Amino acid sequence: MRKVLLLGLAFLFAAASAFAQGRVVTGKVTSGEDGLPIPGASVIVKGTTIGTATDLDGNFSLNVPQDNNVLVISFVGSVTQEVNVGNRSQINVVLQPDTRSLEEVIVTGYGTQPKREVTGAVSSVKGEAIKNLPMQSFDRALQGRAAGVQVRSANGLPGGAVNIRIRGVGSVTAGNEPLFIVDGVQLNNQGNASFTQANPLAFLNPNDIESMEILKDAASAAIYGSQAANGVVIITTKKGKQGKARFEFNAFGGETQPMKFLDVLNGPEWYAMRRDGLRNTGNTAPEANALLAMGRRPDNFATLSAAELDAIGLGLPSYDWQREVMGRGRLQNYELNVSGGDDKTTFFVSGSYDYQESSFRPVDFERGTFRTNLSHKANDRLTLETSLNLATVTQNTPFSIDGSFLGNPAFSASTVLPHNAIRNEDGSFNTAIAGVLNQNIALVNEFNSGRTTTNSIVGNTSATYKILDNLVYRGLVGVDYRLIIENRYRDPRTPDGAGVRGRATAANDWRTRFITTHTVNWNKSFNNVHNLTALAGFEFVSETREGLNAEAIGFPTFQFRYIDSGATPEFVGGFWTGYRRQGAFVNANYNYKEKYLFTATARYDGSSRFGANTQYGIFPSVRAGWNIAMEDFLKDSETVTDLKLRASWGRAGNDQIGNFAARGLYGAPTAGNYAGNAGIRPTSLANLNLGWETNETINIGLDYGFFGNRVSGSVDLFDQRTKDLLLDQPILWTNGFSSISNNVGELMNKGIEVEINTINIDRGGFQWRTAFNFTYIRNEIVRLYDGLEFLPANPGIAVGQPVGNPAFPGQNAPGSWFVAEYAGVNPATGRPMWYDINRNLTYLPIAADRVYFGSNLAPYYGGFNNTFSYKGFELTAFFTYEYGAIVSDGQYNFLRESGTRLALNGLRDVVDRQWTNPGDMTDIPRNVGNFNGGNELRSQGRNFGSAALLKADFIRLAQVQLGYTFNPATLRSLGLTRARVYAQGVNLWTYSDYPGYDPEFVGAGTGQVPIVKSYQIGVQLGF
Amino acid sequence: MKMKKYIVKYALGLLIGFGTLVSSCDLNVDPRQSIDASQALDTPDGVEAAVNSVYARLRQTTNYGRNLLALSDALADVGRTTSNSGRLIQENNNQPNAHFNSIPGSGLSFWQNSYFAINEANLILDAISTGVTGASAAQLARWEGELKFLRALYYFDLVKVYAYIPTAIYQPGVVDEGGVPMPLEGSITSDIAFTRNSPRSTIQQNYTQIVADLNDAIRLLGTSSRAGVQFASVGAAQGLLARVYLYMGQWQNAVTASTAALASNAGTVLSGQAYIDGWRASIHPESMFEVRFQIAGESIGVNESLQSSYTVLLNLSNKNAQGGWGDFVPNQTVLNFFGLAPRQIGEPATNNNNWDVTRNSDVRAHLYTTGSTVRGARNIECIKFISKAGFAYGDNVPVIRKSEMRLIRAEANYQLGNTGDALTELNAFKGLRGLPAVTLTGEAILEEILLERFKEFAFEGHRFFDLKRYGRSIDKRYLAGGSIINFDDFRILPPLPQREVDGNVNLNQNRGY
Repeated sequence: MRKVLLLGLAFLFAAASAFAQGRVVTGKVTSGEDGLPIPGASVIVKGTTIGTATDLDGNFSLNVPQDNNVLVISFVGSVTQEVNVGNRSQINVVLQPDTRSLEEVIVTGYGTQPKREVTGAVSSVKGEAIKNLPMQSFDRALQGRAAGVQVRSANGLPGGAVNIRIRGVGSVTAGNEPLFIVDGVQLNNQGNASFTQANPLAFLNPNDIESMEILKDAASAAIYGSQAANGVVIITTKKGKQGKARFEFNAFGGETQPMKFLDVLNGPEWYAMRRDGLRNTGNTAPEANALLAMGRRPDNFATLSAAELDAIGLGLPSYDWQREVMGRGRLQNYELNVSGGDDKTTFFVSGSYDYQESSFRPVDFERGTFRTNLSHKANDRLTLETSLNLATVTQNTPFSIDGSFLGNPAFSASTVLPHNAIRNEDGSFNTAIAGVLNQNIALVNEFNSGRTTTNSIVGNTSATYKILDNLVYRGLVGVDYRLIIENRYRDPRTPDGAGVRGRATAANDWRTRFITTHTVNWNKSFNNVHNLTALAGFEFVSETREGLNAEAIGFPTFQFRYIDSGATPEFVGGFWTGYRRQGAFVNANYNYKEKYLFTATARYDGSSRFGANTQYGIFPSVRAGWNIAMEDFLKDSETVTDLKLRASWGRAGNDQIGNFAARGLYGAPTAGNYAGNAGIRPTSLANLNLGWETNETINIGLDYGFFGNRVSGSVDLFDQRTKDLLLDQPILWTNGFSSISNNVGELMNKGIEVEINTINIDRGGFQWRTAFNFTYIRNEIVRLYDGLEFLPANPGIAVGQPVGNPAFPGQNAPGSWFVAEYAGVNPATGRPMWYDINRNLTYLPIAADRVYFGSNLAPYYGGFNNTFSYKGFELTAFFTYEYGAIVSDGQYNFLRESGTRLALNGLRDVVDRQWTNPGDMTDIPRNVGNFNGGNELRSQGRNFGSAALLKADFIRLAQVQLGYTFNPATLRSLGLTRARVYAQGVNLWTYSDYPGYDPEFVGAGTGQVPIVKSYQIGVQLGF
Repeated sequence: MKMKKYIVKYALGLLIGFGTLVSSCDLNVDPRQSIDASQALDTPDGVEAAVNSVYARLRQTTNYGRNLLALSDALADVGRTTSNSGRLIQENNNQPNAHFNSIPGSGLSFWQNSYFAINEANLILDAISTGVTGASAAQLARWEGELKFLRALYYFDLVKVYAYIPTAIYQPGVVDEGGVPMPLEGSITSDIAFTRNSPRSTIQQNYTQIVADLNDAIRLLGTSSRAGVQFASVGAAQGLLARVYLYMGQWQNAVTASTAALASNAGTVLSGQAYIDGWRASIHPESMFEVRFQIAGESIGVNESLQSSYTVLLNLSNKNAQGGWGDFVPNQTVLNFFGLAPRQIGEPATNNNNWDVTRNSDVRAHLYTTGSTVRGARNIECIKFISKAGFAYGDNVPVIRKSEMRLIRAEANYQLGNTGDALTELNAFKGLRGLPAVTLTGEAILEEILLERFKEFAFEGHRFFDLKRYGRSIDKRYLAGGSIINFDDFRILPPLPQREVDGNVNLNQNRGY
């Protein structure tokens, strides 16, 4: 990147040589970072204007006057070196990279800025940090990398959805998704979760990323106006560098493994549990009834004694269903890229192949990508650039993404009764499965099939034209085009397909997003102390989505699996939706001697989603910064290298609501058809005044660097208020509707972010660096409407309480847990008890007894990275952590019932804890078998209230990598410029007392594929 | 210098040109799957389609899709639950709150779906009252007639569930909180939607309106109606009116209306084998009005359909094929009605096709058979709903069967003191079902009529309301841990949805919730 800029110098010096008498000195400039030649580095004779620039191979040749003996070699981003020539005529120079972080250039809204001039809250993650992680989308890899950015994998599906929240949850009903921009193209990041999760960001090979900038405060993001309320993530991909073509080959392979198997009961244990439970309720034949529940009661049971029945039950076999259907998965990744260019044209071309299997076969992810980035300087005023990303992703789909479906292996593996054999003696699948889960999920998994293919083109072309030396126009046209095709087949040999003789479903979803952006940049410096830059622009975005889907049943045989073979079409469906947005924006920066920095921006934005009266909104911001380190009293300080105080206020908008949420409409849903005739019905109420939800943030930050930046980082305090919340205001059902979108209420996210980077040891070639970040956010509803303390239809949304984290785009934020507090079991009887409103114990809490228990949104989170390097070796250990989330885990809830409500398996730990004798002090009630649906009479269920809420705190070793980089000198003979080998493990260790599969998930947690751990080895070669 | 100026001009011109182009772009995007509400009811076709949607809401699980039949009977003393899927257990145990109300997260509630349907009907009635361009007088009359029938049906179902029945109001004005809110004007603007806080009407007001709507429907549908028992007809309206009068205790009117209904051409009263075959037909010949499930795509599905609730069988041709859950099966009382007991009819015993039941002479015994062991123990199950339409889980649901008219007339005549007519009617009906005539006097006649209703309409959702309209207790002692739920118990009525009570200052919750 840094090497691209210096063409100008080359021209400047080209004419300057060849005057004076002297000797010719030749040499080569290479980079100390990667050993590669540096083209375009400047070589000047000290104290003169004589100089040259290195060619594409880093070579230079310069006439040095006799009386001058010192050369100054400099290059952007490198430490300038002075070399005494002496008598030499051949000089090789190695330029070391300049690691002073504040020299970094940060990509901001519609431009770039040196980091020392940035006055907003912006986190930057380099592509290098997330390189070669076995993750299919870059959002997943952001976890723990930047303060204020909270990332949770929705589940363990490779290429599945990722939940990313920048500075908390800022909206209840409207979306909480940040705006993703790849090389100027704003993406459609809506998933389509009909069959599997095709993460829309998985189109991009994460290794093609140069850097990611996260604009966190409203002031930084405000230039993106209406879409910026949830923060903005700007992704810059790798560009070509001037010089001869460089090839880079990169490959890794390995395997994934389940992180955890749940410790469930075996066959005899389940029998004993049910028998004892029935005995507790006075059942007269507990042995026979327990066997009946397991489908193992002999026909002559009436003639058998209790002891004989017991012998049958306690002699039942046990099978490990989890280890049958959850297993190892392969992962592999290959990529090749080539980059280079001359003084007019640079290119970067890459291709990649990525494959990963999930722990639940046959679910997988397979991706091929092809990327081209081209830049051409047509003349000294006009530069043309284009970047194009083609990707195809194919996933074998799971039975379902989540849910307590009988055929869902992720649900059933731990809950099916353990005495059921997986296979018969002849090796065929056992189809006589006893218990409520009566499907052989191994069979279901084997016979069903489904595939989702996503083809995408994301690209742009832009022209930059220098109208004047300080006035630049840039126009960009971009497109984000996706086609998702899905096919699924329920095999007639499986229970779900048997009744209908096979069911095939097909669906597709086309999305087209068009964007065009036009900006004019102007800058001027007055007296070298007043520096002024300004930018003005227009932008237009249009998006449409449409799709078709169909289902057919009645297939001749299981070999016919495509939808056209079905005898009876069950339904055809389709959809069309779209919206448009346009805006104009301005930005002005002023600084005085780079010491005092001021920025103001404003955007005027309109969106078709809003009511006719309120389509447009204005989004202003102001920022100020003070580079204290540049003041005279600190200028020469050894201790303080960098110190910058910044403050900002801004307003950004959120338009992530339904495309037609403001309209009063009649639709024709299939549910309205009757007796073969089409039906129409009202689907929404009009709100002509529906307008923007705005996010106003005050941010105060400090960037610091001490001891030559051996300690550096930043601290940010922020108070973010979401006003005029787009809330679904409940409407009485008696008035014919459920809710209407309205702008009411206020939500607060107040917090602190800390980033600390240190070089702990740097001695004798050994270096130990750490990067630590921490975030605390207090999320709270400040106000609702009409003085209400809570939403009538959803009392978890209450003033003074946090909201929860919505699992997927389009879902409303859940409220806090508002339930009766569990008081454990009555030691005398084993009945579960709760506290009523007066803190008295009760068996039957009522609505009035509910209290708040926090939400599933963790207020504390962050990451901690350690890098140790010695000679060519490098060891990285990266941890992430979360604290304070309260969750309800559907899978655990089913298991916690210990088979009392339904004949499902339970956890050994829970059963061991259950009340058995008077005096037992425990939280698990007496087992009552399946008597009264598993509950005590006149009592709430055992999972009622807060009984089954869990703390989802964890610390995880998210990545550990040991790598070795070969010495470039030894590689040269092999024709290589770079070679590195490494071994890596992901999610190898988690510290948590969580009783379910994993504390990291979103949504209900029932039947979701848990996150996996993985091991891999890899090689990177440059030539 | 001049060149530079041109460049500037050119570039700025381009920019401004593009800027103007962009800002002049129309920001409006119109949906393609929906139309503006203001235009929806402007055309005859639009009105016709809107009327269809009001019918379609009857199909919901919350209404005739399941709850008005299976959930009602689970609340009463008709059956027991099997725990196969865990559904209907709480309702069968009469747990507080387990009633006609929405369990959070379960989607539409009975209240919500019914009022949505009523609002749709009101909107169309408002629209046609001002005239629809291009619609004939016959069309206008038919729409109004169908909508008034539907509105009466929805209100009747609401008031019988959420309020006491006129013949047995427990402590009127004290415990009784009245009927249900009764908006008669459509709501399509945010004004009405935000501000209309309808209070509960009196039970009397509800029933008066229902009768008025049905009389209008009879008059209007007399001029024009659609063919088929899936649509409202004069006969259907008369039949419903007879039932409404029965619930009101207006016995003479009940006799008149039921007689008119029996004389109508809607439905046929069947006997013997024809009656059994009637339950195997896609459209029940006895139906005066039934809710149509036209295509497999409209089926309620394996979890909550009537078929799945009542039987584990997929169809009657192969009992080994896995079907639904069979969550709710007859109790011993019902088994005794028809002499039902498991009977092995072949070898081996493990094959479910080798099992059936013993039966007495009552033809209705043929509406029960043994299920399968696919979901657990083999139970005797009701097979009134079992893939009759040729696809699973989407049987048409009879709302009013013509047989009911005879039982209504018998009961009303008994109440009028015409015990002779009552007994004659009862014995004639028994004859249709293969039962001998009985000789009874006094109250025993009423008891026998109610017993006949129990047998006839088991698993059709009548029993709970028959007990309720006579203020009788529900004897649940046949269940483990069960007891008698007396008529004074608050669990006779369901809670009104809490969100409605919270959001409507005029709405009183039922006692005990």
